[in-house]
Amino acid sequence: MPITTTRRRLLAGSAAALALPAFARAQGAVKPRLTAISQWSAGSDGAAITALGKKFEEKGGVWQHSPVPGFTTEMMNKLRAQIMAGDPPACSQLKGPEIAAWSKIAPTVDLDAVVAAAGYEKVVAPDLAKLHKPNGKWIALPLQIYSTNMLFLSKRAMDKAKADKVPVTWADFNDLADKMKAGGVAYPIANGGTRPDDGQKFEASLAGISPAAYRAAIMNLDSKALEGPEVKAAFVQVRKIADWMDPNVGAQHFSTNLKRFVDGDMGMMIMGGWAQGVLRNAGFKFDDFTIAPGPSDNSKPVFLLNADAFIFWQRKEADLQAGQTLMAQLVMDPAIQTMYSQITGSIPVRTDVDLSGEGWSDGQRRTAAALKDAIASNQAVLSVAHNMAQENGLTAAMIDVITEYVKNKTIKPEQAVTRLAKAVEGAR
Amino acid sequence: MTDTAAAAPRGRPARPGVVGRLGEHLTIWVPLLLSAAHLVSFSLWTIWISFTPSTLVPASGWVGLRNYTSVLASRNWQIAFDNLLLFGSTFVLLSLVTGLMLAILIDQRIRGENTLRSIFLYPLAVSFVVTGTVWSWLLNPGIGIQKLVHDFGWTSFRFDWLVDRDMAIWTIVIAAIWQSSGFAMALFLAGLRSVDADLVKAAQIDGAGPIRMYRRVILPTLWPITITVIVIQLQFAISTFDLVRALTNGGPGLATQLPALVVYDLMFQRNLLGRGAAAAVLMLLILLAVLLPYAAWRYFWRRRATHA
Repeated sequence: MPITTTRRRLLAGSAAALALPAFARAQGAVKPRLTAISQWSAGSDGAAITALGKKFEEKGGVWQHSPVPGFTTEMMNKLRAQIMAGDPPACSQLKGPEIAAWSKIAPTVDLDAVVAAAGYEKVVAPDLAKLHKPNGKWIALPLQIYSTNMLFLSKRAMDKAKADKVPVTWADFNDLADKMKAGGVAYPIANGGTRPDDGQKFEASLAGISPAAYRAAIMNLDSKALEGPEVKAAFVQVRKIADWMDPNVGAQHFSTNLKRFVDGDMGMMIMGGWAQGVLRNAGFKFDDFTIAPGPSDNSKPVFLLNADAFIFWQRKEADLQAGQTLMAQLVMDPAIQTMYSQITGSIPVRTDVDLSGEGWSDGQRRTAAALKDAIASNQAVLSVAHNMAQENGLTAAMIDVITEYVKNKTIKPEQAVTRLAKAVEGAR
Repeated sequence: MTDTAAAAPRGRPARPGVVGRLGEHLTIWVPLLLSAAHLVSFSLWTIWISFTPSTLVPASGWVGLRNYTSVLASRNWQIAFDNLLLFGSTFVLLSLVTGLMLAILIDQRIRGENTLRSIFLYPLAVSFVVTGTVWSWLLNPGIGIQKLVHDFGWTSFRFDWLVDRDMAIWTIVIAAIWQSSGFAMALFLAGLRSVDADLVKAAQIDGAGPIRMYRRVILPTLWPITITVIVIQLQFAISTFDLVRALTNGGPGLATQLPALVVYDLMFQRNLLGRGAAAAVLMLLILLAVLLPYAAWRYFWRRRATHA
């Protein structure tokens, strides 16, 4: 057994040397090595990063991934401990504005040359690119994209409502929900009760009503926009959604209710694209549900971006530096992004990947098309519920207000607007 | 260390010299000093951090009371503090009453006492995360007790406290009482068993009935134990974290926030170490407000006992 492994490694190593002569020359005799931490240990996430590791090894590298299962915060605690001990991993999972925040506490790698060599910048959504180059230099690379405001429609609930048209605007959406309720769907909205779930309902509402107001209020924290009429309208919409939800969800995960959703006991779900993977994993068929972009009042798709990424921490060791270069090249590679997204159900970061081939679902194709359209019409914005729009402290302060509003129906929309503005002020 | 202890002569009174009792001294003092140093140094460090502008990682600098004022002004902390008052007082009172009742009932020289005692004490052996998770299922109206009663045919029955903002805090009280009234029972039972038999006999001769006997003779001797139980339960209430995290995770909305949840949230989810440390110090102050009077009380009580 050990002999075969060695031989395979040798073969893979020499194949990589042949395939990447320039790379091999530049790195001399050093064997690239990568220490990485992430929270991806199980399910499709674990499978995807393991597959990425295999590719890394095929290119002659040594892959040392230590997953920290559980919440993202636990991964961050490990990262914090390693940074404080002066021994950061060569690369770690981190996303959104946290990239900028964490890059202040330890030196990161300047990836500009590798990114330029790959011609990567022009195929990445501009808002997304900005997050990964906080001081004008690329220090992190996005890995995969999800939209947090995809609309999932239950086939059986649609039958009960005698409807076959996918709602485009919020008015269509509300109309369909009413029809579902009248047709015997107990809860027109399927939902969990977690904080991000509640946050997603709000961000989908506001961005769907006005992407410009979302950008100003949530991404730029413009105080006038925060108290503007669009934010109030979004809270009004959130209350409608909350009234259509099962009040018994407590703090349950959204996946708890997937069976009731497919059975037509619940009708629509506003959820990230990852729900497709969860539905498929639970054994449901593509015929059971339809995926479409979330409601948008100007009828052009709005895309709430959520992207996983890797940040690269400065290391002195030559093998780790070589490993970082190799990893960066791999993460930007269209073939690798295709492999990764096909495992997890996300869409590639690169907007030039062709999704018409086999291995992609209609939902993924629609998501990718929506992203392209949204970028073209400047309607691709960053998700606040999934920590893409603001740092964790500010995000949590905003979600506090939203989650309380969803659960407490005595709070009026105008009160929620004031509280949101106050929470932002207090957390800044 | 163990060798020295084992080598010390057994059965005979030990020599009073320090050398002869080296083993004992090492066994007691080394762990005691280590844990005290741990406790004190980390507490001091937390207090220091609470005055710094630390966010992601500890940073030096001085911001005065800014972290404290911002924690005290936050809705999260205010809700958590109100909840703590409500939860702490009702939980302590109810677990005290339940524990005492169980102890009195078990004290009636009943058959199967050992089995019953184990059953009542057993929840204490279960981790709070398990308690929280199990109760979150039982109390969930869609799958738990409410559904069971509905399935029996009583469909108008409602027991949805877990998802009701105003009642959710009581679900934590219920779960906490289930977990720890066995502990109160054990202490009370020990107290009941140590009541002077002569006292009881004298009361019987004087013609006291069972209720009067408990009220006038037995229970008054239990009050030192009562205070111990109150203090132990109170410090448990103040530091409650895992139970509420598993049961409601502070929800619905922010309805069941507790101080320990706020500390964790600030430090590890919002990456605001300074503010989290300030909240932790505030928790320490609340604890001291319980423990210092208790220490003072014990001190005076002992002094009175030795003088008398």
